[in-house]
Amino acid sequence: MNPPHAPVPLALVGCGAVSRLFYRPALRELKRHGLVDVIAVVDPRTEARDPLARELGAAACATLDEALALRPALVAIATPPALHRAQAEASFAAACAVLCEKPLAANGVDADAIVAAAARSGRLLAAGHYKRFFPAHRALKTLIERQTFGPLLEATLFEGGKFSWPAATDSFFRREQTPGGVLLDIGVHALDLLRWWLGDPTDFAYADDALDGLEANARLEATFADGARVRLRLSRDWRTENVYVFRFARAVVHCRVNASNQLEITLDDLPLTLAAELRHPLPAEPAPPTRALETNPQAFIAQLIDVCAALRENRAPFVPGAEGALALRWVEACYARRTALPLH
Amino acid sequence: MKTEPRSLDWAVIGASGFIGLRAVEGLHGRDGVNIRPVVRAASSLAVLARRRLDWRIADPRDLPALAEALRGCPVCIHAALGDPGQIEQMATVAYLACAAAGVRRLVWLSSASVHGQDAAPGTDESSPLHDRHPLAYNNAKVRAERRLEHLARDGRVEVVRLRPGVVYGPRSRWITDAAADLRAGRAGWLEQGRGVCNAIHVDNLVHAIRLAAIIPGAAGQAFLVGDAETVTWRDFLLPLAAHLGLPASAFAELPPSEIIPERAAPLAALTRTRVYQRLGDAVPDRAKRLVKGLAAAWPAPAPARDAWTLPSPPAARLTLEQTLLQRCAWKLPHAKAARLLGYAPPVPFAAGLAASLEWLDFAEGRK
Repeated sequence: MNPPHAPVPLALVGCGAVSRLFYRPALRELKRHGLVDVIAVVDPRTEARDPLARELGAAACATLDEALALRPALVAIATPPALHRAQAEASFAAACAVLCEKPLAANGVDADAIVAAAARSGRLLAAGHYKRFFPAHRALKTLIERQTFGPLLEATLFEGGKFSWPAATDSFFRREQTPGGVLLDIGVHALDLLRWWLGDPTDFAYADDALDGLEANARLEATFADGARVRLRLSRDWRTENVYVFRFARAVVHCRVNASNQLEITLDDLPLTLAAELRHPLPAEPAPPTRALETNPQAFIAQLIDVCAALRENRAPFVPGAEGALALRWVEACYARRTALPLH
Repeated sequence: MKTEPRSLDWAVIGASGFIGLRAVEGLHGRDGVNIRPVVRAASSLAVLARRRLDWRIADPRDLPALAEALRGCPVCIHAALGDPGQIEQMATVAYLACAAAGVRRLVWLSSASVHGQDAAPGTDESSPLHDRHPLAYNNAKVRAERRLEHLARDGRVEVVRLRPGVVYGPRSRWITDAAADLRAGRAGWLEQGRGVCNAIHVDNLVHAIRLAAIIPGAAGQAFLVGDAETVTWRDFLLPLAAHLGLPASAFAELPPSEIIPERAAPLAALTRTRVYQRLGDAVPDRAKRLVKGLAAAWPAPAPARDAWTLPSPPAARLTLEQTLLQRCAWKLPHAKAARLLGYAPPVPFAAGLAASLEWLDFAEGRK
């Protein structure tokens, strides 16, 4: 990579697990390639912000205002959802673009307010649904739209396992700070993907096992305009198969959760399964093997590259903020229609 | 005379584990009791957070942190898991933390394995314990009980020890591991599974925990607890196989084998050293789990395959623990628990097993 432009000055807000595990290595790599310049990291906890600031060569800021005073062009928000709205609005007011982690906000009202604030300010807003950058997910979109294997008949999605995210605090499990459980956490990615692949559902039913707290198991059944039926099971309680299975008219496609560049394809008239690594396309002539497409971490980096490019080119990002708001609205609609799963 | 309002907060240490979680969900709100879950890390709250609970985060080996977490609770239930070294360490820390926090009674989840997995006929709570079992876990449980007995001599905390056998129910490894073995074609049993399975449904254990917490005469006692019925491993495993659509022949008959102490025992001994315990605090839990996994795999390393090897069906196998359990010919009695605690298991074996299989269907997405 040899960028013709100056690195994008970026402020990272929030130094929790997602920043440590995802943003830190991604930004380090983008900095190495001259695509971004991390000028500030923000967190009220010194012990969280100082090591990250040192590693990224950024100023360690206790507040967002301190960071905005350093005039970043892009603010990456990776804080608890309840803080997203105020931080996004402050960033737009300071003429910054925003990449906001999922879920876009704590609720649909806040999400719409963020989208509206972006529109008013004329600044870019990207939603952190980086799983749209998975080559396997892009391939599935193509297979569904072009009906390569015929129309999609049904899909079954199992995702989750015993919760192991290294949450630094219990804010993840307090309704005041995080108003949803497994559906809002990993489910919002799945709902975003389903909307991206299939459009809005024509009907759906939802059940989960929350009592007066946050759900650990959830089940969604949805029907889409073309008649495709989708069943989604999510858990942070027990290991699931962690696979999305798509039944097309002439083939079955397995997509393993987080296996960004792999698909398993079983054609109806071929008694075997092709377990494929997704690569750059080969020409129709003798040629050496091509490179593999993006891994999961590379897909996360690809999202940041896209946002930086969109900023430079004055275009919409691949996942605009409004898409994040729509995924969150669907999550809320699920909660509104909630019925109880049996409590085990 | 004015009396202090009596707190009805009960702490459950290890509240995110199989038994701890069930205890929280079964006891919270019952008789006006508020359960205070105590877990090692925020990530352990994922399932507990289905309810709004007043939880605390504290390492069960960190005395000051644990004492702070227990403050204000007259009852503490200890259901935390650990390696052999941690089990012994946790017993000491739990007692001292309870004493420091003013806890009146500590209900310690011990195990029937203090008598060995194949307890001799006639075994009951009065049978002498020893720490020369082939499984390091059993020995750790024995030493933990001894430590508690010794510490409780100062009279600051009442200690009640519960000794459940094979605890099954939703999320139990006895259900999931057996299902996985059956599906993988590696399930086996000894003598057609005729050995006695000292089973206890987790809800029966929670019932016993509640009684152990509230019955005055229980202090200082150890209690064996189990289901009402005497069942064999065949009774336990065959319904599971049938539920998965598999016949009895899915279990390979395995020859009786010589009992060799587990190869991981040196590792278990290492975990009891002071150096390891100090180091242990600095080692992330994920790394510890990896080491445990490697140690567990150690007795049966997978044979190396080369390109000229045809795939073979997996061989049926039993772990050392399973082998010992399936040799058992004695139904451990819970007469003492019935007499002193009024323990009468409310969940019949058939109903408990059916509920466990229903959960398996749910967990695997069939329901």
